[in-house]
Amino acid sequence: MNVMNRVLDQYNSKVYKNRKEHMVGVNNNENNNEIAANVRTIPGIISQRGCCYAGCKGVVLGPIKDAFIITHGPIGCAFYSWGTRRHKAKKDEGVANYLQYCFSTDLQEPDIVFGGEKKLKQAIVEAMELFRPSTIMICSTCPVGLIGDDIHAVAKWAEKEYEIKCIAFSCEGYKGVSQSAGHHIANNQLVRYVIGEGDRKITNKFSVNLLGEYNIGGDGWETERLLKRIGYEVVSTFTGNSSMDDLKNSHQANLSLVQCHRSINYIAELIETKYGIPWMKVNFIGVDATIETLRNVARYFGDSELTARTEEVIADELDSIQEDMEYYKSKLKGKSAAIYVGGSRAHHYQFLLNDLGVHTILAGYEFGHREEYEGREVIPFVKPDADSKNIESITVEPDPEKYHVYLSEEDLKRLKEEKLIDYYGGMVKDMKDGTYMVDDLNHYETEEFLKLLKPDIFFSGIKDKYVAQKSGILSKQLHSYDYSGPYSCFRGAVNFARDITMGIYTPAWSYVKSPWKTAPVLSGSLGGEAVC
Amino acid sequence: MRGNLVNLNVNPCKMCMPMGVMTAMYGIKKCVSILHGSQGCSTYIRRHMATHYNEPVDIASSSLTEEGTVYGGEKNLLQGLLNLIRVYHPEVIGVATTCLAETIGEDIGRMIERFYEEHPEHKDITIIKIPSAGYKGTQYEGFMTALYHIVKTVPMNPEKHSKVNIITGQLSPADTRYLKELLAEFGIEYILLPDLSENLDGGHLHTYSKLPQEGTDIRMIEKMAGARMTIEITISIDEKNSAAKYLYDTYDVPYIRCNLPVGLRDNDEFLRILAKVSGNAVPLKTLKERERYIDAMIDSHKYNGEARVAIYGEPDFVVSTARMCVENGIMPMITATGSKYPKLRELLEQEIMTVSEAFFIDDYKIIEDVDFQTIEEYARDLKVNLLIGNSDGRRISETLEIPLVRRGFPIHDRMGGQRLRMFGYEGALTLIDEITNEILGRKERTFRENLYQQYYIREESSTQISEEAAAAVHNWEGDDSMENELVKRQTIEEKTAKHPCYNCQAHQYARIHLPIAPKCNISCNYCLRKYDCPNESRPGVTTAILSPKEAFLKFMEVKTKVPNLSVVGIAGPGDALANFTETKALLTLIRKEDKDITFCLSTNGLMLPQYANELIALGVSHVTVTMNAIDPKIGAQIYKYVDYMGTKYYGETAAAILLSNQLAGIRMLTEQGIICKVNIVMLKGINDHHIPEVVAKVKELGGVITNIMQMIPVKGSVFEELPLVTNKEIMQMRVKCGEIMKQMYHCKQCRADAIGTLDSDRSSEFQTGNQKEAPLVDKEYLDGMDSENPSPRLPEEAEASQQVTTPKLYMAVATKSGIIVDQHFGQVSEFYVYEYTKGNAVFKEKRPVNQYCKGSAECGEGTDKMDLLIQTIADCDAVIAMRIGDGPKVKLGQKGIKTFTTYDKIEASVLWAANEIKKLP
Repeated sequence: MNVMNRVLDQYNSKVYKNRKEHMVGVNNNENNNEIAANVRTIPGIISQRGCCYAGCKGVVLGPIKDAFIITHGPIGCAFYSWGTRRHKAKKDEGVANYLQYCFSTDLQEPDIVFGGEKKLKQAIVEAMELFRPSTIMICSTCPVGLIGDDIHAVAKWAEKEYEIKCIAFSCEGYKGVSQSAGHHIANNQLVRYVIGEGDRKITNKFSVNLLGEYNIGGDGWETERLLKRIGYEVVSTFTGNSSMDDLKNSHQANLSLVQCHRSINYIAELIETKYGIPWMKVNFIGVDATIETLRNVARYFGDSELTARTEEVIADELDSIQEDMEYYKSKLKGKSAAIYVGGSRAHHYQFLLNDLGVHTILAGYEFGHREEYEGREVIPFVKPDADSKNIESITVEPDPEKYHVYLSEEDLKRLKEEKLIDYYGGMVKDMKDGTYMVDDLNHYETEEFLKLLKPDIFFSGIKDKYVAQKSGILSKQLHSYDYSGPYSCFRGAVNFARDITMGIYTPAWSYVKSPWKTAPVLSGSLGGEAVC
Repeated sequence: MRGNLVNLNVNPCKMCMPMGVMTAMYGIKKCVSILHGSQGCSTYIRRHMATHYNEPVDIASSSLTEEGTVYGGEKNLLQGLLNLIRVYHPEVIGVATTCLAETIGEDIGRMIERFYEEHPEHKDITIIKIPSAGYKGTQYEGFMTALYHIVKTVPMNPEKHSKVNIITGQLSPADTRYLKELLAEFGIEYILLPDLSENLDGGHLHTYSKLPQEGTDIRMIEKMAGARMTIEITISIDEKNSAAKYLYDTYDVPYIRCNLPVGLRDNDEFLRILAKVSGNAVPLKTLKERERYIDAMIDSHKYNGEARVAIYGEPDFVVSTARMCVENGIMPMITATGSKYPKLRELLEQEIMTVSEAFFIDDYKIIEDVDFQTIEEYARDLKVNLLIGNSDGRRISETLEIPLVRRGFPIHDRMGGQRLRMFGYEGALTLIDEITNEILGRKERTFRENLYQQYYIREESSTQISEEAAAAVHNWEGDDSMENELVKRQTIEEKTAKHPCYNCQAHQYARIHLPIAPKCNISCNYCLRKYDCPNESRPGVTTAILSPKEAFLKFMEVKTKVPNLSVVGIAGPGDALANFTETKALLTLIRKEDKDITFCLSTNGLMLPQYANELIALGVSHVTVTMNAIDPKIGAQIYKYVDYMGTKYYGETAAAILLSNQLAGIRMLTEQGIICKVNIVMLKGINDHHIPEVVAKVKELGGVITNIMQMIPVKGSVFEELPLVTNKEIMQMRVKCGEIMKQMYHCKQCRADAIGTLDSDRSSEFQTGNQKEAPLVDKEYLDGMDSENPSPRLPEEAEASQQVTTPKLYMAVATKSGIIVDQHFGQVSEFYVYEYTKGNAVFKEKRPVNQYCKGSAECGEGTDKMDLLIQTIADCDAVIAMRIGDGPKVKLGQKGIKTFTTYDKIEASVLWAANEIKKLP
């Protein structure tokens, strides 16, 4: 029995069938790597997925430093999304920073019965009295959508009353099937109400947006440092370390670099249609990946001086890390890893692990769609279901004033054909045959796969961290980096390599015997009743 | 301060009910739980539990989607239960609801019934439903309600046995383990509900089981109905959530409820209960631990006395920790819970007062339903120097640079939150050591610098001190200001070091403000002339003006009683320089008696150029000038008129005259080495954007510090209706201006007759005879006559004529001394009843009452006693006390009895209260 079947074995037939579709034994020769993704979680299976609110408030909006985000709902959701993600931001002169704060309308039972709009309005009045923010964002939680509070009307009222920007996000937790729905909702509103409003003077023609970079553990700072060193101007970062003003000006850049495709591809596409800025999928995680990314970006701008400068910087940065990387590689070569995280990171980190001689034997996303696994070529074949249809999909027209092009139409066409821009090939093409892709890996499957595949390192989030550790396997969090980072670009790679080496070689592990070294693997039984 | 802003929770000090439910269920053996709602609830809760306990946390979700919200989630829940059983093989399943399920009105009971009907093969699995809407309470209520539903749902076997039920709130695994060991030592057979000590703090085993293998066995829960008794270790519980009460009501199992065994008294009490229940003596080992704890209490009490702590978290935690702090002489400045728990005040007020009264601390906060923003604001105001609570206080700790001793849940920024112990004498000992050490650590980091600044006399200047004294004496006779100036420059640093208003390290030094200057020469729009000048003093209470001679005598009196007196200030109530004759006379008198004392005065600066040199000659070393604008256009909006050299000027002319004199005057002073502070009253929409320019100017002129102050709205003044800037705005402005020059952050806006340290005004102790000669109401007349603008007198005359027609008022006063209103309402053993007629306060009788509140032990029936108390003074029109709880206040209000709080002489307070009553419609 192969590994997947052994894991699936414990399920009843219907769950078996369902979960089987979420698992793929990679075989790039036969080109049959179809995977089920972005569909409903099976109830009762302990999934690691979060909700729509988490994707909207927690992921996309949370890092905007001067956005005063009021969570409209009972207290829990606001509390749990308070400071739980390590998106770092620097305090800027004249720009408010609310990242340390958590604001909630703290709805009580009478508010649920009689409606919470009044309380929300009052909360805004108090927010203005206490903090005078220039931007308020309202994020709703489950009950708000059910009791029918019109948060969009309240936002309009606040804009008029205080002459501020106030945007409402109907990101009730039950929408969609994972965080992904929340990303989409946040993207829509940012395109509608924020992007295009700025008039900052951009003089550098090598101007880029860094999309899908949330500056976890300082990744965005390191990436920006590198880009600036070569001579790029980073107009905006979505949304790590960003201010509203940065986001408002993003329409002025000449190229959008997309790091996390999943959470931000809507914005990438919409600003291309509206403002003429193409997007390029990039990856700043991994040394070779960073080099390739930098060369691709230089190719897009097609400037010989820029290209020369790019090579210069690459050589210099490489020089400064080579010795360290070689040492760490000597310690890590031949180790194996399983990665289950996010909607992009499981792909990105395989490059960095490759640099270090670590091979990935299993990878999966919590909330990725099929294109993150199989590439954007599958998009036409993805059938929209009831859940995805419930999330609004907006369309935009070219902006008559702000639409601008950097490349000629022919050049653009050529680059598109070369798949250098407006394309993402997904994870599977970069995985070796015989490895596994598993979507929405749940708690039980995690434990089973770890037992069977015996990876040296399991990369995941906090919820599955302790299962790995209890199983005697090194765990490394790729959401929060276990309080470390940055891991991006050249210098980040060294940080990562050092952290992994330290983790593997800590003497503590020598006192722990992996359970699978002493106990037989589980014996399963075949499923019975037909439920799913 | 946020006051009654309650719709926006800023940094919540609480979590939601499902969090508590899930934690409680982790204390049941072979149980997994499922949250009926959207999957984020489960994910978020698992995330928070995992970071605190550092253990895998498995909580399922029915993963409701939009479709579920429309058609109901039954299908999802039934599927979820099956899948859960399939993978986990549990014996017990907890089904908790969420905001979503409760809002759409899911009938979980019915769904569970259907599940059993459809799957009879799973009949042996106990499924417990727990309604837990996130908006109905906090994690504490969630935890307790889970226990209640467990005992209610599990089929009970009421057959009697000798075991004792132990029911607890959310304890740390370490505390739970201690509890179990203790029970074993007493030989008590028990059923502990819940027991999460192993499941959420397990060891590293060869095999890992995802189904919790430890915890309370369902077969034991069944027997709870037959137990000999229940001990419920939580006091904050709502009866309707009490599992113990349910067992009593349904199965006649008697129960006793007690505090968490934290600290000396509550451990003593808990051991007494266990000894009685078991019939066994307290184990010798435990007695030894007790001795050691008491020894430690004594060893560290000197350091603990400096601790001013803020305690926050779940109600049980706050109550117990506060009680332990009180035992150790640690002052709980703030006790706060995010839960709605009005009883907190009742439980803690008496406790805390034992320390606050002993330490002469008259302001502290007991607050429920609170967020961290409010805690932070109070912590800043009340000079809290230590925080005790969960990790979420770390932001306050960072902002205010106060250490945080971590206890409670969640602790996710440090390791080992699950292993922290508070229970038992040893738990208390560990905690108290940690607290003491933080206090010591803080001291160690700061005391050298403080000592150096405050006490160290540098070699070269120690001789100068006596020279200065000599020179000063010489000066009063010879008036050689050149020589005097030379000396002063060398010692001014030392003087500043001892001046509490200029140096925040110097708050242990006392100052006296002598009210000898009634007249004023300008009219500020935020001022009403019948009150003291708001530039320097709190309005609303007028000061009895002293003649220079009286002021001198008062100084002498105070000097003998307040040995740390280092500063004499003249701060009004008018302008010191508008009363220069008096000022000069007083300073000369004092300087003859005391060569070292620092002279300090405040002024609007109008007469500064004229008197600057004379002030220096008199030995004034510190001058505060209130300068609100350096632009006459802005100044014109702030000042009504300026009375300069006998002529009144209005508008921009007035502002320009004032400004040019201020600028010239400040420069004259600073050039001669005088320390100049500039006060700036921040006025919304008038000078708030202009302040940085003022500050920059002050710096240019050589001022050392600026004090940006709140305007205090004075009834009847031009700016009465002007909206106030928020404290935050003031702080922001101070921070902004801090980049230009040093800012004063610790201003108390003292009264003109303030005496003592900034923290404790002792002026009422020294109110002298002239108070009797001129009662408060008449005093206001005098002020009115002094004023150059007679108009304020008119309304007062009207008031005076009203007095005649005012009927008698009876007032009950809470006083211990019989001189000052110095008692808390709840502590009164006898009231002093005063009769007020025609502007006089006359003592009528003492009226003994039953003290209605003697501490938590007897407080159970407090309400009835309170009623009795209120009956005692039912014929009175008002109660005047130092403080009064919200409960009594409301009850008194219902009886039509007004309540006033003050700390002042009784007669003055009665007159003031009578005036306040007259103002009421």
